[in-house]
Amino acid sequence: MGMQAEKLEPLKVEAEKTNLLSELKRRKKALLFNKVMIWSLLAFLVVWSWIGTNFSLSFLYTGITNITVFIFTNLLPPDFSAIPRYINPALQTLYMSYVGMVISVVLSLFFGVMAAKNTSFHPALAFASRSVITFIRAVPAIIIGMIFVVALGLGPLAGTLALGIGGVGILGKAFADILEEIDKGQVEAIRATGASWFQIMGQGVWPQFKTGFVAWSLYKMDLNIREAAVLGIIGAGGIGYTLQGNINLFQYKQASVGILMIFALILIVEFTTAKIREKIL
Amino acid sequence: MSEVMLETKNVSMVFPDGTEALKNINIKIHRGELVSIIGPSGAGKSTFMRSLNLLNVPTSGEIVFEGENVTKAKGKQLRHIRRRIGMIFQHFNLIKRSPTYQNVLHGRLGYMPSLKGGFGRFSEEDTEEALAILERVGLGQQAFKRADELSGGQQQRVGIARAIAQSPSLILADEPIASLDPSSSENVMNYLKKVCQEDGITSIVNLHQVDFAKQFADRIIGIKAGEVVFDGKPKELTDGIINHLYYDKITV
Repeated sequence: MGMQAEKLEPLKVEAEKTNLLSELKRRKKALLFNKVMIWSLLAFLVVWSWIGTNFSLSFLYTGITNITVFIFTNLLPPDFSAIPRYINPALQTLYMSYVGMVISVVLSLFFGVMAAKNTSFHPALAFASRSVITFIRAVPAIIIGMIFVVALGLGPLAGTLALGIGGVGILGKAFADILEEIDKGQVEAIRATGASWFQIMGQGVWPQFKTGFVAWSLYKMDLNIREAAVLGIIGAGGIGYTLQGNINLFQYKQASVGILMIFALILIVEFTTAKIREKIL
Repeated sequence: MSEVMLETKNVSMVFPDGTEALKNINIKIHRGELVSIIGPSGAGKSTFMRSLNLLNVPTSGEIVFEGENVTKAKGKQLRHIRRRIGMIFQHFNLIKRSPTYQNVLHGRLGYMPSLKGGFGRFSEEDTEEALAILERVGLGQQAFKRADELSGGQQQRVGIARAIAQSPSLILADEPIASLDPSSSENVMNYLKKVCQEDGITSIVNLHQVDFAKQFADRIIGIKAGEVVFDGKPKELTDGIINHLYYDKITV
């Protein structure tokens, strides 16, 4: 018996080898087929969208000429005498963004913790919170802004609230996702000591959550500056409101100062938040 | 024989996918014992241990710990049972970003008001105690380092320190040395045995290294496919039984 087994062994190995090789070839073929399918699908989508949007290179060509003429005759050079008129609205945008971020963070902490499966009290509650967050994300901030402008009148209060509520769409999702990815083992170890829910959150979850929490909250501050500029256009206060005024009166050279101011604001906020992030993390 | 401190009565566990992880486990643990549970991977050692403090809820059966029914406990009662049971994990499960001494202080959470504990406002008394425990496991020098800066063996000693900080009457160690090299393993097991003896703590240790079980345990329980197949003194554990336990060959 033993002898026979020894004799048979090499043969079997040989057979297995060829089997493996043909299996490998089969898998490679299947993979190639998948690749071809994916690329043809992508190509088809590009062509379809191209036709659907009436995209044409000749329009692009004439368009570029128009844009260039507009930029060089209307926008440039910027009328820097308009700077003083933009200082206060710029500051207002900054306040709106900051207060908006704080509102978003507070609301998102609640909805994020409830939406994450591992920190929520019940799967149904997690689903409901996720739905709230997704719904808010689906509504553009400018629509939320319009509702508040109608309800509370023109001005920065409406813009601030729009930023605060609208931010839950992105921050709530970010917080919930970060929470769902934390190390379960560490949380379990705290639970095993007999800790309460709040103690597990404070001592087991928070240390793991902190980095992502700070990074995303600061990123939201960046985003708010840009969104606040857009919100001004519907009369929700800030630098966008003044910018819109200039554009309506065809004062493009002053408007370009507004655009430069927004650019400067974003730069400043980005620089500051980067510094804060470095200090905290 | 000394008092029974933990008893499981017909504990069974069926996972949602139908796997029977535990089949009618009946075990009595006596005060002061160091019991080692051995068996192949997937035998149900971890599942059994985690059901003792209800990290896993058994499908049926009863667990009685110091006169209290663990399986029926909820909320505050369950937390009060858990704080008397220290747990040590294979992957240490320390809060990596928190300093070592704070990880030890986490053992005190069960004794603190919820808010105070959540915000990490530990009393000076507890802090002194935690530092003293770190000295006991030979980590006084590492007290202020972040937990993830320590070596594996050191981290597991912090795990032991955290369990000790609970002033537990029972310690559950789930594969405490499975991710450590042989010399760290020896070291960690020595510390575990030492502190348990000094403080009169009963301990249950899951191990898959039979030689470690024989060296350290007062009593060995062998689990195979969710059933207890051996329960006795280390010297009663013959090679035949080990073979049966791990290799499915009966040569007794």
